[in-house]
Amino acid sequence: MMTLKDLEKKLQKADAKQAKLYLFCNFISLLLITAYSAMMFSPTVLLVLPQGGDSRKQMVAIFVLALFGCVVFTIYASGLFFRKKAKQLGTLMALGASGRRLLPGLFREVLTLSAVSSFLGIVAGFPFVWILWNCFKLISDSSQMALTFDFKCLYLSAVFFVIVVACSCLNAYRYLKKTNIMEVMHEEHRNEPVRELGRWCGPVGIGLVLAGAVLGYMGPVVCYYGFQFYAPAWINILYAPVFVGLYMIMLHTVVYGWRPRKKDPYKNLIARSMMKFQGKQTVNNLLVSTVLIAGSVFGMFYLPMTGVERAMEIKSRPYDYYYHYRADQNVPDEEEISTLAAKHGLVVKDFKKAPYLSLGMDGITEVEEGRSFHYERIPFKCEGRFLSEESYEALTGEKIALEKGSYMAVCKSDGTGLQFLEETAQVLTNMETFQSIPVKFAGYAHYDLLTDSSGYYVLNSEDYESVGQDLGGEWMGEAVFFNIDGEDSYEFAQDFFYTLISSFGPECEIPSYYDRVSKYYANSQGEVYWGDTPDMTEVSFSDPDSSNFRIYWKYMPKSRLLDQTDYNSTFSVFLMMFLFIAIICSLAAVIIEYTRCMTIVLNNRYVFEDLKRLGASPGFLLKEIRSQAGPVFKIPAIVGMGAMYFLYILLMYGNDGKITASEAGGMAVCLFILMGIGLIYYAVYRLAVKNMCHQIQG
Amino acid sequence: MLYVKNLHKSYQSGNKSYNVLKGIDLSVADQEFVAVMGPSGSGKSTLLNCISCYIPFEQGTITLGGQELNGLDENGLAKIRNEKLGFVFQDFMLLDGLTMRENILVPGIIRGKADKKAEKLADQLLTLFGIEHIASKYPADVSGGERQRTAVARSLLNQPLLILADEPTGNLDSKSSRSVIESFENARTKLGTSIFMVTHDSFAASFCDRVILLKDGVVYDSLEAEPGHREGSRGAFQDRLLDAIRKMSSMES
Repeated sequence: MMTLKDLEKKLQKADAKQAKLYLFCNFISLLLITAYSAMMFSPTVLLVLPQGGDSRKQMVAIFVLALFGCVVFTIYASGLFFRKKAKQLGTLMALGASGRRLLPGLFREVLTLSAVSSFLGIVAGFPFVWILWNCFKLISDSSQMALTFDFKCLYLSAVFFVIVVACSCLNAYRYLKKTNIMEVMHEEHRNEPVRELGRWCGPVGIGLVLAGAVLGYMGPVVCYYGFQFYAPAWINILYAPVFVGLYMIMLHTVVYGWRPRKKDPYKNLIARSMMKFQGKQTVNNLLVSTVLIAGSVFGMFYLPMTGVERAMEIKSRPYDYYYHYRADQNVPDEEEISTLAAKHGLVVKDFKKAPYLSLGMDGITEVEEGRSFHYERIPFKCEGRFLSEESYEALTGEKIALEKGSYMAVCKSDGTGLQFLEETAQVLTNMETFQSIPVKFAGYAHYDLLTDSSGYYVLNSEDYESVGQDLGGEWMGEAVFFNIDGEDSYEFAQDFFYTLISSFGPECEIPSYYDRVSKYYANSQGEVYWGDTPDMTEVSFSDPDSSNFRIYWKYMPKSRLLDQTDYNSTFSVFLMMFLFIAIICSLAAVIIEYTRCMTIVLNNRYVFEDLKRLGASPGFLLKEIRSQAGPVFKIPAIVGMGAMYFLYILLMYGNDGKITASEAGGMAVCLFILMGIGLIYYAVYRLAVKNMCHQIQG
Repeated sequence: MLYVKNLHKSYQSGNKSYNVLKGIDLSVADQEFVAVMGPSGSGKSTLLNCISCYIPFEQGTITLGGQELNGLDENGLAKIRNEKLGFVFQDFMLLDGLTMRENILVPGIIRGKADKKAEKLADQLLTLFGIEHIASKYPADVSGGERQRTAVARSLLNQPLLILADEPTGNLDSKSSRSVIESFENARTKLGTSIFMVTHDSFAASFCDRVILLKDGVVYDSLEAEPGHREGSRGAFQDRLLDAIRKMSSMES
């Protein structure tokens, strides 16, 4: 005897096609989320991306976007599944099966499908990451690229899995609780027109996107400068108008379109009406795809922006080599370096060396009071490396005349690189004798090669002599430039680098942010200097090729050839992580768009059939299909890419109040990348149109 | 057997409320074949959906076989739909993944009594409606008329008191329509079932014992056929029907 359970099993078997779509969508979502979280929790990434740094924040922010996209996608997939299932459920309910009797079978089906697809997605996530990461290693490899997993990432997948199952079960329950059985039966053909707001919503949406971007960006700045208050994390809510604006832009696209139709009001009438009456789904899909594409573009921009900036900076260096060291270190002198170069068949030329003093600087600092702060002058704010007027001229060839009691800070030639310089000092202190001199800030000198995260200054020579009296080698140093006559060799660059490291003592095994003056002041106040806590990035002589060492070591030399050649391996994890993010988000967006296109044909199959009966030619049908699929691909790409490009320009400008040449160069490369991504999306669009036509003909 | 008293139903569209049924009173006797006709928007399908409790209504009472349907909980309504009512829809509503024979057995399966007896009855219904040759075929493989006769057979499996049919011939050609109407006639005469059919088709309605004309949510007229009209004066009854419909339409214009 056939039971209800047997009947349900038979129907489930017959519904395999729609179940496959649901399985596919869940599988893809879980795969992407697992892959992303596997990378986010991977020690490979966590060891390189500094804790609390911008890179990590960006990685997490894009993950939140991807998570949002995948959640909406799975809800959409489950909605589609139930729309198709509704006729069956409605018929059984109409024939006397109560919701309560259908519930266990439906839950069983949904749970099985969700669990199987999610499990497969989670399991497939790891090999997916492994394959992708190993492909990256073909582009850029280093010892740090060895991939390891921390399976804590499965917690995120588990949470997502619970969300998927809960949404599906909730959807099932919602259908069975409906009192209007006719509504359930005709659910599949029910239109979901979106609430129209009027033609103003598009332009207002664009305005909101711009306003949200500016507000979100400026909010923390205003808090900081205007109210001396560290903005809390929730201030990011100021970005909310961006999402509202995006929704309105999508709504305008779906309901009205952007082209004036006064000349030909019937153009694309069918496609527009089809989109409009499935407006809710269409708008949601466009919105999610836009957000994902924006996330993808953000990740993609990381490479050219950092790469171009660095390439231009390296190219513009007037010397092949720069290094500095404490005077108490036994660092190779000109003769030893020349001998080393000779071993590689090279000749050193333009060797310039100049001494500097490391002095304590007073200054105005922020004193925290919970979330707010006030400014206060402290006697020992930071350490500064001071060159005399003569030393500066010897190194740079530029003559500077300073009045007694004044100093200048050295920044880049384009006026950037100010963030590590102290302009408020009034007293400079010899950190051995604690003899001090009064000074005032006299502006900026410009020399790119002397700009780093520790800061160089130029001091009046008379002051230099007086404050530097009795200062020992620990607080004195030398800055050195030299060139190689002819073409440099990578072997020499490496040899020089390793030789230099081996000449430093363990007291110099510190990162660039480690400030001895700050430490002195903190200790004198009975506090532990933060640089002595685990929060400080660690650098180790035993791992000189690691990103941390190359990026953060206080005495890291600059070598044009080494920096150029090793750029990929030094930044490999950064670059590849952001490339990974870009690929994951793009993949998610493209899959969502493709699925949307396929469901457009499935849902509107009867419309296309009717059009055929009315004599529509294959060409006409193709035009209608293109009109449907076009906005699904085009609008998210244009809006997502455009918005992110605009945001990037805003960020670049916000950094230092100008767009530098290297930033402009980077943005130009980004434009080419956008064109490349656009072409990939176009290829997927063509594929979607082809398969849509195939569906209609089939 | 079926009593509908003062039935009211309205639909909400935006802020506007549309009264579709404005106090309907009607009844259907045992083994009676009743049709409801009327222009589009007169409330025919809404009336049928209210009687079957597919959609909730605001006011009035519906009594079926002595049992009042108002106030029954979801399980009670499901039991009524399964055991005392049979349904035939315009678009058949057969389950695509089941054979025609299995489709007929669905009400029995839901009832938990798809036993040998039910299978035997399903086979008898297949024979009675002349569709035994498609018993193992799937809905996608058969004609519209065959699908609808299968739907009629399905509606009879649990031997209900009343079959509710919503435009059962609406999607069929005249030959198939005729065979579906004959199926109803067979159900009434051989199985003793009452039929309540909503239709636009005066030909189909002319086979009924009584035709209720609905206009603007109220009963406009009720026409009774003469006894034995199916054999002799069916055409005359259809003419009377058309006259009444014409009269109703002219009043509207």
